[in-house]
Amino acid sequence: MPRATSSSERFVALALAWAVAGAALAEEPAQKASPEQAPAQWLERMNQALTTRNYDGTFSHWHGGHVEMLRIIHRVQDGTVSERLASLDGSGREFIRTGASLTCYLPDKRTVLVEQRPPQESLVGFPAVNDQTASSYDIREVARTRLNRRDTHVIAVSPKDEYRYGYRLWIDDSTAMPLKTQLCDAHGHVIEQIVFASLTLSSHIPDSAFKPEVSTEGFKWLRNESAPPAPPAEALAWNAMGLPPGFRMSARSAQTLPGSTDPVDHLVFTDGLASVSVFVEPQRRSSAAQPAVPESARVGSSSAFSTVIDGHKITAVGEVPPDTVRLIATQVKAQDPASIGSRRP
Amino acid sequence: MNEELDSQLSAMFDDELAPAECELLARRLSRDEQLKARWDRYAVIGALIRSEGGVRLNAPLAGRVSAVILAEPTFGASPAPHGAPRTRVRWWQPLAGAAVAAGVAVLCIVWLRAQTPLTGAALSAQLISPAAAVSSAPLARATPAGAAGPRDGIAAGISGSGDSYVVPPAPAVRAAVVPSVELANYVVAHSVFSSPVARRNLLSAFMSSESGTIAAEEPQDDAQSNLQ
Repeated sequence: MPRATSSSERFVALALAWAVAGAALAEEPAQKASPEQAPAQWLERMNQALTTRNYDGTFSHWHGGHVEMLRIIHRVQDGTVSERLASLDGSGREFIRTGASLTCYLPDKRTVLVEQRPPQESLVGFPAVNDQTASSYDIREVARTRLNRRDTHVIAVSPKDEYRYGYRLWIDDSTAMPLKTQLCDAHGHVIEQIVFASLTLSSHIPDSAFKPEVSTEGFKWLRNESAPPAPPAEALAWNAMGLPPGFRMSARSAQTLPGSTDPVDHLVFTDGLASVSVFVEPQRRSSAAQPAVPESARVGSSSAFSTVIDGHKITAVGEVPPDTVRLIATQVKAQDPASIGSRRP
Repeated sequence: MNEELDSQLSAMFDDELAPAECELLARRLSRDEQLKARWDRYAVIGALIRSEGGVRLNAPLAGRVSAVILAEPTFGASPAPHGAPRTRVRWWQPLAGAAVAAGVAVLCIVWLRAQTPLTGAALSAQLISPAAAVSSAPLARATPAGAAGPRDGIAAGISGSGDSYVVPPAPAVRAAVVPSVELANYVVAHSVFSSPVARRNLLSAFMSSESGTIAAEEPQDDAQSNLQ
Protein backbone atom coordinates (compact mmCIF):
# COMPACT_ATOMS: atom_id res chain seq x y z
CA MET A 1 0.00 0.00 0.00
CA PRO A 2 1.44 3.40 -0.86
CA ARG A 3 2.70 5.52 1.92
CA ALA A 4 0.12 8.23 1.47
CA THR A 5 -2.67 5.85 2.13
CA SER A 6 -0.98 4.49 5.12
CA SER A 7 -0.37 8.03 6.33
CA SER A 8 -3.99 8.84 5.95
CA GLU A 9 -5.00 5.70 7.70
CA ARG A 10 -2.53 6.42 10.43
CA PHE A 11 -4.18 9.77 10.96
CA VAL A 12 -7.44 7.99 11.24
CA ALA A 13 -6.04 5.48 13.63
CA LEU A 14 -4.54 8.17 15.81
CA ALA A 15 -7.64 10.22 15.95
CA LEU A 16 -9.17 9.33 19.24
CA ALA A 17 -12.07 11.51 18.41
CA TRP A 18 -13.24 9.13 15.81
CA ALA A 19 -14.95 6.84 18.22
CA VAL A 20 -16.70 9.81 19.72
CA ALA A 21 -17.51 11.05 16.28
CA GLY A 22 -18.98 7.75 15.35
CA ALA A 23 -21.26 7.94 18.30
CA ALA A 24 -22.17 11.51 17.47
CA LEU A 25 -22.94 10.59 13.93
CA ALA A 26 -25.10 7.80 15.16
CA GLU A 27 -26.95 10.09 17.49
CA GLU A 28 -28.05 12.34 14.69
CA PRO A 29 -29.21 10.18 11.90
CA ALA A 30 -30.39 11.97 8.84
CA GLN A 31 -33.30 10.84 6.86
CA LYS A 32 -32.53 7.26 6.12
CA ALA A 33 -31.76 6.77 2.52
CA SER A 34 -33.66 4.29 0.52
CA PRO A 35 -31.44 1.51 -0.68
CA GLU A 36 -32.23 2.27 -4.29
CA GLN A 37 -31.22 5.89 -4.11
CA ALA A 38 -29.75 7.03 -7.40
CA PRO A 39 -26.08 7.97 -7.37
CA ALA A 40 -26.87 11.55 -8.37
CA GLN A 41 -29.21 11.77 -5.41
CA TRP A 42 -26.33 10.86 -3.17
CA LEU A 43 -24.47 13.85 -4.51
CA GLU A 44 -27.43 16.07 -3.75
CA ARG A 45 -27.78 14.65 -0.26
CA MET A 46 -24.08 15.12 0.32
CA ASN A 47 -24.19 18.75 -0.81
CA GLN A 48 -27.19 19.27 1.40
CA ALA A 49 -25.43 17.74 4.39
CA LEU A 50 -22.24 19.69 3.84
CA THR A 51 -24.04 23.00 3.60
CA THR A 52 -26.84 22.66 6.14
CA ARG A 53 -25.50 20.54 8.98
CA ASN A 54 -23.39 21.50 11.96
CA TYR A 55 -20.14 19.66 12.14
CA ASP A 56 -16.60 19.79 13.42
CA GLY A 57 -14.03 17.59 11.79
CA THR A 58 -10.36 17.01 11.29
CA PHE A 59 -9.11 15.71 8.00
CA SER A 60 -5.97 15.03 6.07
CA HIS A 61 -5.56 16.77 2.77
CA TRP A 62 -3.27 15.13 0.24
CA HIS A 63 -2.07 16.79 -2.89
CA GLY A 64 1.11 16.72 -4.87
CA GLY A 65 2.90 14.40 -2.50
CA HIS A 66 2.08 16.41 0.60
CA VAL A 67 -0.26 15.64 3.42
CA GLU A 68 -1.52 18.25 5.80
CA MET A 69 -4.05 18.14 8.58
CA LEU A 70 -6.84 20.68 8.66
CA ARG A 71 -9.86 21.31 10.80
CA ILE A 72 -13.25 22.39 9.54
CA ILE A 73 -16.10 23.67 11.65
CA HIS A 74 -19.42 24.40 10.01
CA ARG A 75 -22.61 25.75 11.50
CA VAL A 76 -25.91 27.03 10.23
CA GLN A 77 -27.73 28.98 12.87
CA ASP A 78 -30.67 31.30 12.37
CA GLY A 79 -30.05 31.24 8.66
CA THR A 80 -26.44 32.32 8.97
CA VAL A 81 -23.65 30.11 7.78
CA SER A 82 -20.46 30.12 9.82
CA GLU A 83 -17.47 28.17 8.78
CA ARG A 84 -13.88 27.94 9.88
CA LEU A 85 -11.16 26.10 8.06
CA ALA A 86 -7.72 26.08 9.61
CA SER A 87 -4.42 24.53 8.75
CA LEU A 88 -3.24 22.57 11.77
CA ASP A 89 0.24 21.75 10.60
CA GLY A 90 2.13 24.44 8.87
CA SER A 91 1.04 27.71 7.46
CA GLY A 92 -1.37 28.54 10.26
CA ARG A 93 -3.68 30.01 7.66
CA GLU A 94 -7.31 30.24 8.54
CA PHE A 95 -10.42 30.93 6.58
CA ILE A 96 -13.46 32.08 8.49
CA ARG A 97 -16.82 32.78 7.01
CA THR A 98 -19.59 34.38 8.96
CA GLY A 99 -22.66 35.04 6.88
CA ALA A 100 -21.59 37.21 3.98
CA SER A 101 -18.23 38.06 5.50
CA LEU A 102 -15.23 36.04 4.43
CA THR A 103 -11.99 36.49 6.32
CA CYS A 104 -8.73 34.95 5.36
CA TYR A 105 -5.84 35.02 7.83
CA LEU A 106 -2.47 34.71 6.17
CA PRO A 107 0.17 34.69 8.93
CA ASP A 108 2.87 34.00 6.38
CA LYS A 109 1.98 37.27 4.66
CA ARG A 110 1.07 39.02 7.91
CA THR A 111 -2.12 39.93 6.12
CA VAL A 112 -5.80 39.54 6.75
CA LEU A 113 -8.24 39.73 3.86
CA VAL A 114 -11.81 40.61 4.62
CA GLU A 115 -14.24 40.22 1.80
CA GLN A 116 -17.79 41.33 2.25
CA ARG A 117 -20.10 39.54 -0.14
CA PRO A 118 -23.56 40.77 -1.02
CA PRO A 119 -25.95 39.59 1.73
CA GLN A 120 -28.15 37.71 -0.70
CA GLU A 121 -25.25 35.42 -1.36
CA SER A 122 -24.94 34.33 2.23
CA LEU A 123 -26.70 31.07 1.63
CA VAL A 124 -26.09 30.46 -1.98
CA GLY A 125 -25.20 27.85 -3.19
CA PHE A 126 -23.56 25.88 -5.36
CA PRO A 127 -24.45 24.45 -8.67
CA ALA A 128 -27.27 21.94 -8.61
CA VAL A 129 -26.68 18.45 -9.85
CA ASN A 130 -29.04 18.10 -12.76
CA ASP A 131 -29.48 16.58 -16.18
CA GLN A 132 -26.84 18.88 -17.56
CA THR A 133 -24.41 17.48 -15.04
CA ALA A 134 -25.26 14.02 -16.23
CA SER A 135 -24.31 14.99 -19.74
CA SER A 136 -20.79 15.89 -18.60
CA TYR A 137 -20.22 13.14 -16.06
CA ASP A 138 -20.94 9.52 -15.56
CA ILE A 139 -22.21 9.13 -11.99
CA ARG A 140 -22.25 5.63 -10.55
CA GLU A 141 -22.25 3.90 -7.23
CA VAL A 142 -19.30 1.60 -7.50
CA ALA A 143 -19.18 0.04 -4.08
CA ARG A 144 -20.56 -0.06 -0.59
CA THR A 145 -17.85 -0.32 1.92
CA ARG A 146 -16.95 0.27 5.54
CA LEU A 147 -14.79 3.25 6.25
CA ASN A 148 -13.81 4.01 9.82
CA ARG A 149 -16.53 1.69 11.03
CA ARG A 150 -19.15 3.53 9.04
CA ASP A 151 -21.17 2.22 6.14
CA THR A 152 -20.42 4.25 3.08
CA HIS A 153 -21.52 4.42 -0.52
CA VAL A 154 -18.66 4.91 -2.92
CA ILE A 155 -19.87 7.18 -5.69
CA ALA A 156 -17.69 7.63 -8.74
CA VAL A 157 -18.19 10.77 -10.77
CA SER A 158 -16.29 10.35 -13.99
CA PRO A 159 -15.85 13.20 -16.44
CA LYS A 160 -16.68 12.49 -20.04
CA ASP A 161 -13.91 14.72 -21.33
CA GLU A 162 -10.75 16.43 -20.13
CA TYR A 163 -12.31 19.78 -19.39
CA ARG A 164 -13.14 18.72 -15.84
CA TYR A 165 -12.08 16.51 -12.99
CA GLY A 166 -13.86 13.55 -11.52
CA TYR A 167 -14.50 12.45 -7.97
CA ARG A 168 -14.73 9.34 -5.87
CA LEU A 169 -16.75 9.99 -2.79
CA TRP A 170 -17.20 7.81 0.27
CA ILE A 171 -20.55 9.05 1.50
CA ASP A 172 -21.78 8.06 4.93
CA ASP A 173 -24.94 6.03 4.64
CA SER A 174 -26.84 7.62 7.50
CA THR A 175 -25.68 11.23 7.42
CA ALA A 176 -24.66 11.68 3.76
CA MET A 177 -21.46 13.33 4.93
CA PRO A 178 -18.49 12.53 2.69
CA LEU A 179 -15.93 10.81 4.89
CA LYS A 180 -13.39 10.58 2.14
CA THR A 181 -13.13 12.28 -1.24
CA GLN A 182 -10.73 11.80 -4.07
CA LEU A 183 -10.35 14.18 -6.96
CA CYS A 184 -9.33 12.40 -10.14
CA ASP A 185 -8.12 13.51 -13.50
CA ALA A 186 -9.77 12.44 -16.73
CA HIS A 187 -7.82 9.19 -16.64
CA GLY A 188 -9.06 8.30 -13.18
CA HIS A 189 -5.80 9.01 -11.41
CA VAL A 190 -6.12 10.47 -7.95
CA ILE A 191 -4.69 13.97 -7.75
CA GLU A 192 -6.13 15.22 -4.48
CA GLN A 193 -7.62 13.48 -1.49
CA ILE A 194 -9.37 14.36 1.72
CA VAL A 195 -9.92 11.80 4.46
CA PHE A 196 -11.68 12.64 7.67
CA ALA A 197 -9.90 11.49 10.79
CA SER A 198 -12.65 12.69 13.06
CA LEU A 199 -16.04 14.13 12.43
CA THR A 200 -18.61 15.20 14.93
CA LEU A 201 -22.08 16.35 14.05
CA SER A 202 -23.38 18.57 16.80
CA SER A 203 -26.63 20.29 17.42
CA HIS A 204 -24.83 23.25 18.92
CA ILE A 205 -21.49 24.82 18.12
CA PRO A 206 -20.59 27.92 20.15
CA ASP A 207 -19.55 31.22 18.58
CA SER A 208 -16.14 30.81 20.16
CA ALA A 209 -15.42 28.01 17.72
CA PHE A 210 -15.28 30.57 14.95
CA LYS A 211 -12.61 32.77 16.46
CA PRO A 212 -9.21 32.59 14.81
CA GLU A 213 -6.34 31.16 16.77
CA VAL A 214 -3.81 33.26 14.96
CA SER A 215 -2.76 36.53 16.56
CA THR A 216 -3.20 39.35 14.11
CA GLU A 217 -1.05 41.89 15.90
CA GLY A 218 0.84 43.94 13.36
CA PHE A 219 -1.03 42.39 10.46
CA LYS A 220 -2.17 44.39 7.49
CA TRP A 221 -5.92 44.30 7.05
CA LEU A 222 -7.29 44.54 3.55
CA ARG A 223 -11.01 45.00 3.14
CA ASN A 224 -13.35 45.58 0.27
CA GLU A 225 -16.27 47.90 -0.01
CA SER A 226 -19.46 46.18 0.96
CA ALA A 227 -21.31 47.88 -1.87
CA PRO A 228 -19.39 48.23 -5.08
CA PRO A 229 -19.87 51.43 -7.04
CA ALA A 230 -22.62 51.20 -9.61
CA PRO A 231 -21.09 50.70 -13.02
CA PRO A 232 -21.55 53.59 -15.41
CA ALA A 233 -24.32 53.12 -17.90
CA GLU A 234 -21.92 52.76 -20.76
CA ALA A 235 -19.94 50.13 -18.95
CA LEU A 236 -19.00 47.16 -21.02
CA ALA A 237 -20.72 43.90 -20.34
CA TRP A 238 -18.51 40.88 -20.45
CA ASN A 239 -19.33 37.38 -21.44
CA ALA A 240 -17.66 34.27 -22.70
CA MET A 241 -17.99 33.85 -26.43
CA GLY A 242 -17.39 30.15 -26.14
CA LEU A 243 -17.41 27.65 -23.30
CA PRO A 244 -16.34 24.06 -22.85
CA PRO A 245 -19.21 21.62 -23.39
CA GLY A 246 -21.69 21.51 -20.53
CA PHE A 247 -20.66 24.83 -18.96
CA ARG A 248 -23.11 27.68 -18.63
CA MET A 249 -23.10 31.01 -16.87
CA SER A 250 -24.71 30.69 -13.46
CA ALA A 251 -24.03 34.05 -11.85
CA ARG A 252 -22.81 37.54 -12.55
CA SER A 253 -22.01 40.23 -10.06
CA ALA A 254 -20.11 43.46 -9.68
CA GLN A 255 -17.89 43.82 -6.67
CA THR A 256 -14.64 45.10 -5.34
CA LEU A 257 -11.93 42.93 -3.91
CA PRO A 258 -10.08 43.58 -0.66
CA GLY A 259 -7.28 46.08 -0.99
CA SER A 260 -8.65 47.62 -4.15
CA THR A 261 -11.25 50.16 -5.11
CA ASP A 262 -11.46 49.03 -8.69
CA PRO A 263 -14.78 47.51 -9.66
CA VAL A 264 -14.55 43.91 -10.71
CA ASP A 265 -17.02 42.00 -12.82
CA HIS A 266 -17.37 38.49 -11.49
CA LEU A 267 -18.84 35.91 -13.84
CA VAL A 268 -19.43 32.32 -12.75
CA PHE A 269 -19.66 29.37 -15.09
CA THR A 270 -20.55 25.86 -14.03
CA ASP A 271 -21.29 22.42 -15.38
CA GLY A 272 -23.22 21.45 -12.25
CA LEU A 273 -20.21 20.19 -10.37
CA ALA A 274 -17.19 22.22 -11.34
CA SER A 275 -17.25 26.00 -11.41
CA VAL A 276 -15.02 28.64 -12.87
CA SER A 277 -15.05 32.26 -11.82
CA VAL A 278 -13.95 34.93 -14.24
CA PHE A 279 -12.88 38.28 -12.85
CA VAL A 280 -12.74 41.24 -15.20
CA GLU A 281 -11.10 44.43 -14.06
CA PRO A 282 -9.58 47.43 -15.77
CA GLN A 283 -5.88 46.99 -16.22
CA ARG A 284 -4.11 49.24 -13.82
CA ARG A 285 -2.17 52.16 -15.14
CA SER A 286 1.12 50.90 -13.78
CA SER A 287 1.78 48.72 -16.74
CA ALA A 288 5.23 47.90 -15.44
CA ALA A 289 3.64 45.96 -12.63
CA GLN A 290 1.12 44.33 -14.89
CA PRO A 291 2.45 43.61 -18.30
CA ALA A 292 0.17 41.85 -20.71
CA VAL A 293 1.54 38.44 -19.98
CA PRO A 294 -0.76 35.50 -19.58
CA GLU A 295 -0.10 33.76 -16.29
CA SER A 296 -1.01 30.41 -14.90
CA ALA A 297 -1.15 29.27 -11.31
CA ARG A 298 -2.31 26.26 -9.39
CA VAL A 299 -3.92 26.07 -5.99
CA GLY A 300 -3.93 22.39 -5.24
CA SER A 301 -5.60 20.86 -8.22
CA SER A 302 -7.49 24.06 -8.96
CA SER A 303 -6.25 26.32 -11.69
CA ALA A 304 -5.98 30.00 -12.38
CA PHE A 305 -5.16 31.82 -15.57
CA SER A 306 -4.81 35.51 -16.15
CA THR A 307 -4.52 37.47 -19.36
CA VAL A 308 -5.27 40.90 -20.72
CA ILE A 309 -8.04 41.52 -23.23
CA ASP A 310 -9.04 44.94 -24.50
CA GLY A 311 -7.25 46.75 -21.70
CA HIS A 312 -8.87 44.60 -19.04
CA LYS A 313 -7.29 41.96 -16.92
CA ILE A 314 -9.22 38.72 -17.20
CA THR A 315 -8.59 36.10 -14.55
CA ALA A 316 -10.26 32.71 -14.47
CA VAL A 317 -10.13 30.55 -11.33
CA GLY A 318 -11.73 27.19 -10.86
CA GLU A 319 -11.46 23.61 -9.69
CA VAL A 320 -10.84 22.43 -13.23
CA PRO A 321 -7.79 21.52 -15.29
CA PRO A 322 -5.53 24.36 -16.43
CA ASP A 323 -6.69 24.20 -20.03
CA THR A 324 -10.28 24.84 -18.99
CA VAL A 325 -9.59 28.09 -17.14
CA ARG A 326 -7.36 29.18 -19.97
CA LEU A 327 -10.03 28.48 -22.55
CA ILE A 328 -12.69 30.32 -20.62
CA ALA A 329 -10.48 33.32 -19.83
CA THR A 330 -9.42 33.78 -23.40
CA GLN A 331 -12.99 33.55 -24.63
CA VAL A 332 -14.19 36.43 -22.51
CA LYS A 333 -15.06 39.50 -24.54
CA ALA A 334 -16.83 42.79 -24.05
CA GLN A 335 -20.41 42.75 -25.27
CA ASP A 336 -23.12 45.23 -25.90
CA PRO A 337 -24.76 45.62 -22.45
CA ALA A 338 -28.23 45.50 -23.98
CA SER A 339 -27.68 41.98 -25.20
CA ILE A 340 -27.16 40.56 -21.74
CA GLY A 341 -30.00 39.88 -19.37
CA SER A 342 -29.77 40.39 -15.66
CA ARG A 343 -28.52 37.21 -14.14
CA ARG A 344 -27.20 38.40 -10.89
CA PRO A 345 -26.90 35.80 -8.18
CA MET B 1 29.24 23.54 -25.74
CA ASN B 2 30.57 21.42 -22.98
CA GLU B 3 29.01 18.17 -21.97
CA GLU B 4 27.88 19.37 -18.63
CA LEU B 5 25.78 22.12 -20.14
CA ASP B 6 24.36 19.73 -22.65
CA SER B 7 23.44 17.32 -19.96
CA GLN B 8 21.84 20.08 -17.91
CA LEU B 9 19.82 21.18 -20.88
CA SER B 10 18.65 17.66 -21.42
CA ALA B 11 17.79 17.28 -17.76
CA MET B 12 15.82 20.47 -17.85
CA PHE B 13 13.79 19.16 -20.75
CA ASP B 14 13.15 16.03 -18.80
CA ASP B 15 12.06 18.09 -15.83
CA GLU B 16 14.78 16.52 -13.79
CA LEU B 17 16.99 19.49 -13.17
CA ALA B 18 17.07 20.89 -9.66
CA PRO B 19 15.22 24.20 -9.41
CA ALA B 20 18.32 26.17 -8.48
CA GLU B 21 20.18 24.82 -11.46
CA CYS B 22 17.18 25.53 -13.63
CA GLU B 23 17.33 29.15 -12.67
CA LEU B 24 21.04 29.38 -13.42
CA LEU B 25 20.55 27.71 -16.74
CA ALA B 26 17.65 29.99 -17.56
CA ARG B 27 19.84 33.01 -16.96
CA ARG B 28 22.54 31.56 -19.11
CA LEU B 29 20.02 30.79 -21.84
CA SER B 30 19.02 34.40 -21.98
CA ARG B 31 22.54 35.54 -22.84
CA ASP B 32 24.15 32.55 -24.52
CA GLU B 33 23.12 32.40 -28.14
CA GLN B 34 24.74 29.06 -28.75
CA LEU B 35 22.95 27.51 -25.86
CA LYS B 36 19.73 29.13 -26.96
CA ALA B 37 20.15 27.61 -30.40
CA ARG B 38 20.68 24.25 -28.78
CA TRP B 39 17.54 24.71 -26.74
CA ASP B 40 15.58 25.56 -29.84
CA ARG B 41 16.79 22.42 -31.51
CA TYR B 42 15.66 20.35 -28.57
CA ALA B 43 12.27 21.95 -28.81
CA VAL B 44 11.91 21.21 -32.48
CA ILE B 45 13.13 17.67 -32.07
CA GLY B 46 10.78 17.14 -29.20
CA ALA B 47 7.87 18.40 -31.20
CA LEU B 48 8.77 16.25 -34.15
CA ILE B 49 9.09 13.15 -32.07
CA ARG B 50 5.80 13.75 -30.43
CA SER B 51 4.23 14.60 -33.75
CA GLU B 52 2.28 17.24 -31.98
CA GLY B 53 0.39 19.91 -33.80
CA GLY B 54 -0.18 17.51 -36.60
CA VAL B 55 3.48 17.12 -37.42
CA ARG B 56 4.16 13.63 -38.70
CA LEU B 57 7.51 11.97 -39.01
CA ASN B 58 8.37 8.72 -40.62
CA ALA B 59 9.38 6.15 -38.07
CA PRO B 60 13.03 5.64 -39.04
CA LEU B 61 13.74 9.35 -38.84
CA ALA B 62 11.90 9.61 -35.58
CA GLY B 63 13.97 6.74 -34.34
CA ARG B 64 17.19 8.41 -35.37
CA VAL B 65 16.20 11.64 -33.75
CA SER B 66 15.26 9.76 -30.64
CA ALA B 67 18.62 8.13 -30.60
CA VAL B 68 20.30 11.48 -30.86
CA ILE B 69 18.77 12.83 -27.77
CA LEU B 70 18.73 9.47 -26.06
CA ALA B 71 15.52 9.93 -24.28
CA GLU B 72 12.24 11.37 -25.27
CA PRO B 73 11.90 14.76 -23.73
CA THR B 74 8.96 15.60 -21.63
CA PHE B 75 7.86 19.14 -21.56
CA GLY B 76 8.66 20.51 -18.19
CA ALA B 77 6.32 22.66 -16.24
CA SER B 78 3.28 20.46 -16.44
CA PRO B 79 2.14 18.32 -13.56
CA ALA B 80 2.67 14.63 -13.87
CA PRO B 81 -0.21 12.95 -15.65
CA HIS B 82 -1.34 11.45 -12.44
CA GLY B 83 -0.54 11.66 -8.81
CA ALA B 84 2.02 14.08 -7.57
CA PRO B 85 2.84 16.85 -9.96
CA ARG B 86 6.58 16.84 -10.15
CA THR B 87 6.84 20.54 -10.64
CA ARG B 88 4.14 22.75 -9.42
CA VAL B 89 3.64 25.92 -11.37
CA ARG B 90 4.62 28.62 -9.00
CA TRP B 91 4.22 31.80 -10.91
CA TRP B 92 1.77 33.00 -8.34
CA GLN B 93 3.39 31.28 -5.47
CA PRO B 94 4.42 34.50 -3.73
CA LEU B 95 1.02 34.14 -2.21
CA ALA B 96 2.71 31.37 -0.35
CA GLY B 97 5.50 33.68 0.61
CA ALA B 98 8.01 32.51 -1.93
CA ALA B 99 8.53 35.43 -4.24
CA VAL B 100 12.14 34.53 -4.76
CA ALA B 101 11.72 30.81 -4.71
CA ALA B 102 8.95 31.19 -7.22
CA GLY B 103 11.45 32.10 -9.83
CA VAL B 104 13.42 29.01 -9.22
CA ALA B 105 10.85 26.51 -10.24
CA VAL B 106 9.93 27.97 -13.51
CA LEU B 107 12.13 27.67 -16.34
CA CYS B 108 9.33 26.11 -18.18
CA ILE B 109 8.55 25.30 -21.69
CA VAL B 110 5.34 26.61 -22.98
CA TRP B 111 3.78 26.10 -26.29
CA LEU B 112 1.25 27.38 -28.66
CA ARG B 113 -0.72 24.93 -30.59
CA ALA B 114 -1.10 25.26 -34.31
CA GLN B 115 -4.47 25.72 -35.82
CA THR B 116 -3.29 23.73 -38.78
CA PRO B 117 -0.59 21.10 -39.03
CA LEU B 118 2.87 22.45 -39.54
CA THR B 119 5.89 21.14 -41.27
CA GLY B 120 9.10 20.89 -39.37
CA ALA B 121 10.47 23.83 -41.26
CA ALA B 122 7.50 25.97 -40.48
CA LEU B 123 7.75 24.90 -36.90
CA SER B 124 11.35 25.84 -36.77
CA ALA B 125 10.64 29.18 -38.35
CA GLN B 126 8.11 29.94 -35.72
CA LEU B 127 10.30 29.36 -32.77
CA ILE B 128 10.26 32.58 -30.93
CA SER B 129 12.63 34.15 -28.54
CA PRO B 130 12.04 34.45 -24.83
CA ALA B 131 11.53 38.16 -25.23
CA ALA B 132 8.93 37.63 -27.90
CA ALA B 133 7.16 35.14 -25.70
CA VAL B 134 6.09 37.95 -23.46
CA SER B 135 3.67 39.30 -25.94
CA SER B 136 2.36 36.00 -27.14
CA ALA B 137 -0.02 33.66 -25.41
CA PRO B 138 1.90 30.82 -23.88
CA LEU B 139 -0.01 27.84 -22.71
CA ALA B 140 1.49 25.79 -19.98
CA ARG B 141 1.16 22.20 -20.93
CA ALA B 142 -0.81 20.34 -18.41
CA THR B 143 -2.05 17.13 -19.84
CA PRO B 144 -0.09 14.08 -20.72
CA ALA B 145 1.64 14.22 -24.01
CA GLY B 146 -0.16 12.47 -26.73
CA ALA B 147 -3.48 12.45 -24.95
CA ALA B 148 -6.23 13.56 -27.22
CA GLY B 149 -7.37 16.30 -24.96
CA PRO B 150 -9.55 19.31 -25.08
CA ARG B 151 -6.62 21.35 -26.27
CA ASP B 152 -7.55 20.52 -29.80
CA GLY B 153 -10.87 22.18 -29.43
CA ILE B 154 -9.42 25.00 -27.47
CA ALA B 155 -6.72 25.71 -29.95
CA ALA B 156 -9.03 25.62 -32.88
CA GLY B 157 -11.04 28.40 -31.41
CA ILE B 158 -8.28 30.51 -30.09
CA SER B 159 -4.81 30.12 -31.31
CA GLY B 160 -3.78 31.51 -34.58
CA SER B 161 -0.14 31.00 -33.82
CA GLY B 162 2.08 28.15 -34.72
CA ASP B 163 3.62 25.53 -32.52
CA SER B 164 6.22 27.42 -30.60
CA TYR B 165 8.36 26.58 -27.69
CA VAL B 166 9.51 29.44 -25.65
CA VAL B 167 11.39 30.00 -22.47
CA PRO B 168 9.69 32.57 -20.34
CA PRO B 169 11.80 35.49 -19.26
CA ALA B 170 13.28 35.92 -15.84
CA PRO B 171 10.79 34.35 -13.47
CA ALA B 172 11.44 36.95 -10.79
CA VAL B 173 9.64 39.44 -12.99
CA ARG B 174 6.70 37.11 -13.36
CA ALA B 175 6.48 36.68 -9.64
CA ALA B 176 5.54 40.32 -9.38
CA VAL B 177 2.89 40.17 -12.05
CA VAL B 178 0.14 38.77 -9.98
CA PRO B 179 0.59 39.62 -6.34
CA SER B 180 -0.14 36.87 -3.91
CA VAL B 181 -2.92 38.68 -2.18
CA GLU B 182 -4.67 39.11 -5.47
CA LEU B 183 -4.82 35.40 -6.07
CA ALA B 184 -6.05 34.92 -2.51
CA ASN B 185 -8.83 37.36 -3.28
CA TYR B 186 -9.83 35.47 -6.37
CA VAL B 187 -9.78 32.15 -4.56
CA VAL B 188 -11.91 33.43 -1.72
CA ALA B 189 -14.39 35.16 -4.03
CA HIS B 190 -14.65 32.09 -6.21
CA SER B 191 -15.12 29.72 -3.30
CA VAL B 192 -18.57 31.14 -2.65
CA PHE B 193 -19.77 29.65 -5.91
CA SER B 194 -18.06 26.30 -5.79
CA SER B 195 -19.84 23.08 -5.07
CA PRO B 196 -19.25 22.06 -1.45
CA VAL B 197 -16.71 19.35 -2.13
CA ALA B 198 -14.80 21.35 -4.71
CA ARG B 199 -14.81 24.30 -2.39
CA ARG B 200 -13.33 22.30 0.44
CA ASN B 201 -10.60 21.04 -1.84
CA LEU B 202 -9.82 24.52 -3.07
CA LEU B 203 -9.73 26.14 0.34
CA SER B 204 -7.82 23.25 1.88
CA ALA B 205 -5.18 23.49 -0.79
CA PHE B 206 -5.03 27.21 -0.25
CA MET B 207 -4.69 26.84 3.51
CA SER B 208 -1.97 24.25 3.00
CA SER B 209 0.14 26.13 0.52
CA GLU B 210 3.76 26.09 1.41
CA SER B 211 3.28 24.95 4.91
CA GLY B 212 5.16 22.25 6.70
CA THR B 213 4.00 19.11 5.05
CA ILE B 214 5.09 15.55 4.87
CA ALA B 215 5.83 13.79 1.68
CA ALA B 216 3.66 10.94 0.67
CA GLU B 217 3.01 8.92 -2.38
CA GLU B 218 -0.21 9.09 -4.18
CA PRO B 219 -3.15 7.28 -2.72
CA GLN B 220 -4.21 4.76 -5.30
CA ASP B 221 -4.53 1.26 -4.03
CA ASP B 222 -7.46 1.59 -1.74
CA ALA B 223 -9.41 3.47 -4.34
CA GLN B 224 -8.74 0.81 -6.88
CA SER B 225 -9.68 -1.93 -4.53
CA ASN B 226 -12.91 -0.22 -3.72
CA LEU B 227 -13.74 0.25 -7.31
CA GLN B 228 -13.02 -3.18 -8.58
